[in-house]
Amino acid sequence: MDTLHIEATKFTPDILLDPEERLIRLVGKSYPENTFDFYAPVLEWLQNYFEIESSEDTTIELEILYFNSSSSKLFFDLFDIVEDAHNRGHKIEVKWIYDVENESAEEAGEDYKDDFEMLNFHLVEK
Amino acid sequence: MREVDLLGALEEFVTGKTELSKDGLQDFAEVLLKEFKRKNRRLERILKQSDRQQIELDRYKTELEERVDEAVKEIKVLNNEIVETQKEILFTMGAIGETRSKETGNHVKRVAYYSYILAKKWGLSEESAKILRDASPMHDIGKVAIPDTILNKPGPLTANEFKIIQEHAEIGYDLLKHSKRPLLQTASIVAHEHHEKWDGSGYPRGLKGEEIHIYGRITAIADVFDALGSDRVYKQAWKLDRILTLFREDSGKHFDPELVDIFFDNLDEFLKIRSNFRDETNDSSY
Ligand SMILES: [Fe+2]
Ligand SMILES: [Fe+2]
Repeated sequence: MDTLHIEATKFTPDILLDPEERLIRLVGKSYPENTFDFYAPVLEWLQNYFEIESSEDTTIELEILYFNSSSSKLFFDLFDIVEDAHNRGHKIEVKWIYDVENESAEEAGEDYKDDFEMLNFHLVEK
Repeated sequence: MREVDLLGALEEFVTGKTELSKDGLQDFAEVLLKEFKRKNRRLERILKQSDRQQIELDRYKTELEERVDEAVKEIKVLNNEIVETQKEILFTMGAIGETRSKETGNHVKRVAYYSYILAKKWGLSEESAKILRDASPMHDIGKVAIPDTILNKPGPLTANEFKIIQEHAEIGYDLLKHSKRPLLQTASIVAHEHHEKWDGSGYPRGLKGEEIHIYGRITAIADVFDALGSDRVYKQAWKLDRILTLFREDSGKHFDPELVDIFFDNLDEFLKIRSNFRDETNDSSY
């Protein structure tokens, strides 16, 4: 599987999907003009990854400072794929990273953690 | 459960592709209900995210506005400080030129306000009139380079001494001409041309009529009107009547006739300034 790296723009996060390191990382803001088109390759990659790769430990890090509501919906879709993989035996650790001062990022993280109670989901204060 | 999978299963059931037993149906309904509740909660959370962003944005905007307001306030204070400092410096420099020839600080003040009135009535913009008002006190700055012995000589001047005094116009211009600031530019014009005469008999260049910059023509009237009404080392203050007669006679000779008309039309205002800024030691103006 190839690594997928999408560099950050003013409205979108830096995205690194690295099968060798077994690392999935999103850092930055998320206000794409068309959120679902923008993230489609990411979701596709994830799905393939969990189908092809073995179920060794995978780390997912999300450090999203600000994001719009369609990104919010999209992260639910993303974690659905992760949850699915988890249910099929993949070992996955999710880290939701936020800045101490960024209350709204913290609250959003709590909402995801609560929805995906089956996942190994950590809120990590920076 | 992923949305696509759930919808797929539901569609198969609805279209009759899958048949379910009563228990199976019960289980399926339970899954559907659970997913429905979960999706519903998610919807609320997505909306909450939208709300949070809205609040964040609003807070950011308010903070930004406050900061801009503060910055603007500070800039205004600083700008005012600069303008006031500039005025004070010009005024002080003008006063230096005047005290060299034993005139009082009030002379430059009066010349400033006379010039402002003439500029406004003549039709210059408020901005230009204010600049002229602030620059005109500098008209005699070139006198800093003229020896005291000549400036303060009580008796009549020799032709050579008179020539040396006349150099103050050119010297003032040379001192000020290098600045690009409108105020100093104006001051340099005033210093250069306040002794030019309408008929071309003035100095240093013998300019004629409208060849003389309007700033020079205005300051000439303001300066002479005030100088004649004040005591100087070489003369007593003139009575008002005598001054007015001279202005009438010199209209079109020494002075721009249009400005002389404006002067007479607004004589009240000039006299008001004269009494407001009267010299303490000099009461003989009238
Ligand atoms: Fe002069
Ligand atoms: Fe003067």
